[in-house]
Amino acid sequence: MSRSNTFGFFRLVTQNLANRPWRNLAAIAAFAIIAGTFFSAQYLMNGARQSLDTGIDRMGADIMVVPKEYSSAGETVLLTGQPTSFFFQDSGFEQIARVPGVAKASPEIFIATLYGQACCAGPVQLIAIDPARDFTISSWLQDNPGVVMGKDDIIVGNSIAGDVGSNLLFYGHTFHIVGRLGRTGLMGVDMAVFTRFEDAYTMADESGVKAARKLTIPPGMVSAVLVRVAPGTAPATVAAEITSELPGTKAITPGGLLSTIAGRLGSVTTMLYGSSIAVTAVSVPLLALVAAMVAQERKSEIAILRSLGATRSFIVRLMLTESVTLAFAGAMAGIVVASVILLAFQDFIALTLKIPFMIPSPAYILVAAGSSLALSSGIGGLAALWPAIHSSRSEPYETIRKGAS
Amino acid sequence: MIEATGITKAFTTVSGEVRAVDMADLSAGKGSFTLILGRSGSGKSTLLAMLAGLIRPSSGMVRIKGEDMGTLTDDQMAALRAREIGFVFQFSGLIPTVTALENVMIPTLFLPKSSGTRERALALLSRVGVADRADAYPATLSSGEMKRVAIARALINNPSILIADEPTGDLDVDTEAEIMGLFRTLNREGITIVMVTHNPDLIPCASHTYTMDRGKLTENPDALLCRRGITGTLLGQDLQ
Repeated sequence: MSRSNTFGFFRLVTQNLANRPWRNLAAIAAFAIIAGTFFSAQYLMNGARQSLDTGIDRMGADIMVVPKEYSSAGETVLLTGQPTSFFFQDSGFEQIARVPGVAKASPEIFIATLYGQACCAGPVQLIAIDPARDFTISSWLQDNPGVVMGKDDIIVGNSIAGDVGSNLLFYGHTFHIVGRLGRTGLMGVDMAVFTRFEDAYTMADESGVKAARKLTIPPGMVSAVLVRVAPGTAPATVAAEITSELPGTKAITPGGLLSTIAGRLGSVTTMLYGSSIAVTAVSVPLLALVAAMVAQERKSEIAILRSLGATRSFIVRLMLTESVTLAFAGAMAGIVVASVILLAFQDFIALTLKIPFMIPSPAYILVAAGSSLALSSGIGGLAALWPAIHSSRSEPYETIRKGAS
Repeated sequence: MIEATGITKAFTTVSGEVRAVDMADLSAGKGSFTLILGRSGSGKSTLLAMLAGLIRPSSGMVRIKGEDMGTLTDDQMAALRAREIGFVFQFSGLIPTVTALENVMIPTLFLPKSSGTRERALALLSRVGVADRADAYPATLSSGEMKRVAIARALINNPSILIADEPTGDLDVDTEAEIMGLFRTLNREGITIVMVTHNPDLIPCASHTYTMDRGKLTENPDALLCRRGITGTLLGQDLQ
């Protein structure tokens, strides 16, 4: 028995909804798809943008110099961690360091891309750095900040498994983890293992004996040079100067990187929001049709309520509340399901879409969830609006008379 | 209490204008029990709908407690119905998705505020003899039980007028007698009742009777005559 002292409006709403479970479940599923798609689109887009901002900021470099023919691969290795290895003469490094406007320059060797490592689910980028010159890695240490790399020490990206103090084995060579970087969302950083130049050469020398496959690092070569420009100097100007002095190189600036990513994100954005719009465009007329069918079935019930003293606005409010309740429930379900899928498969999704990614802030997730709920509820209200108004305008006497005959 | 003056309801059909109710005059004073008799299709229900403010007359005037219904907006008429009029339909008219008790409580949603609703609804169900069915859904109630619940619902907002459209039409003789007994009791307690029926056997219940025939309403001059059992002669074949 109802324990409430008064009969509430929402009791009438929920009982009406409970009376048509299958149809309402179908409507809930439609709203779940709308909200889930919209939420996913916002989640992925924000995750990609935040990752770009954070990642490029954490890279700490204004310019990345790579061989001209590998400029695209340079962006790829940084953003998605896709397997790449390319080299140019390290004499170029000395030239770059002398270019006016260059404050710091740090060479890197992309040693190899390793698959099937126990430490991680995806491909691992093994990168050699010169700790004495590096300004990009050590300042973003999350665990053990301030550590100085010694013999066989490595610093690992955020997605590499293994605690500080534990060991990892590459090409039969044992390395010791002394630091971990914060998450950037850039797979080329999060899935990277950073070692010293001299340890990398030792590992390569020993690999013929200790590893199943011989590793070769061409002597006197580097893969990339990361550059920080002097305060007050425009990175684009220095980049132009570098490419002018070192023909055959390409100087990638964060601005250029952002523009590359913006283009890639643009197509992903179009796909995601396009899906949302397509789902909405198909669903709204269907939901409106369902609402109209329900209204038609309930003509007699609505006429009775009108006869008992319900105003037209009460009838509109009743029907809109029912539809919005369904929309809200569907949106909640859609957001929860989308969140679980996105959390479980975010790396896979980022790799597939070739975009950098990191989990958006809780505040943004709340905004995305709230806007998805609002969109879904708005669609629910919109779909039921005309049937509700039409029902409220029907003549109760005429309906009752027909119902009685 | 209810006063209709020269009310007409005309509908336009392919064959021209049809007057479902034609210049009807009716007066039902406070505490009266008015029966409107007539065969099916004579215009009784249309008349009742106009008296209850469910439809507006094409012409003429309906006053309830002195208030001209023609001057009220739809929402004002709805508020007046919720406050002053209890409605019992020819069919049960219960909302199938809520329990008997909740059905009784529904009209309280249309008042600005209500208190002690549940207790009052239970008391009304008890009064009409179905308190033990308070938690039952309409689909599990018998016709008689549904009608009783509908009467309890009509009374929940303490209306001064009870309008009933063929309330015993689908009931067996015993249940009909019980329901009419209930209406008589309510009338004795001061509720004004206007009831439509095609059953002349109910005339002894009434203080005033009217006959409806092809849209024309005629007041039967002496209800006492009806009570003495000469109704059939007075009303002729229309009621058969």
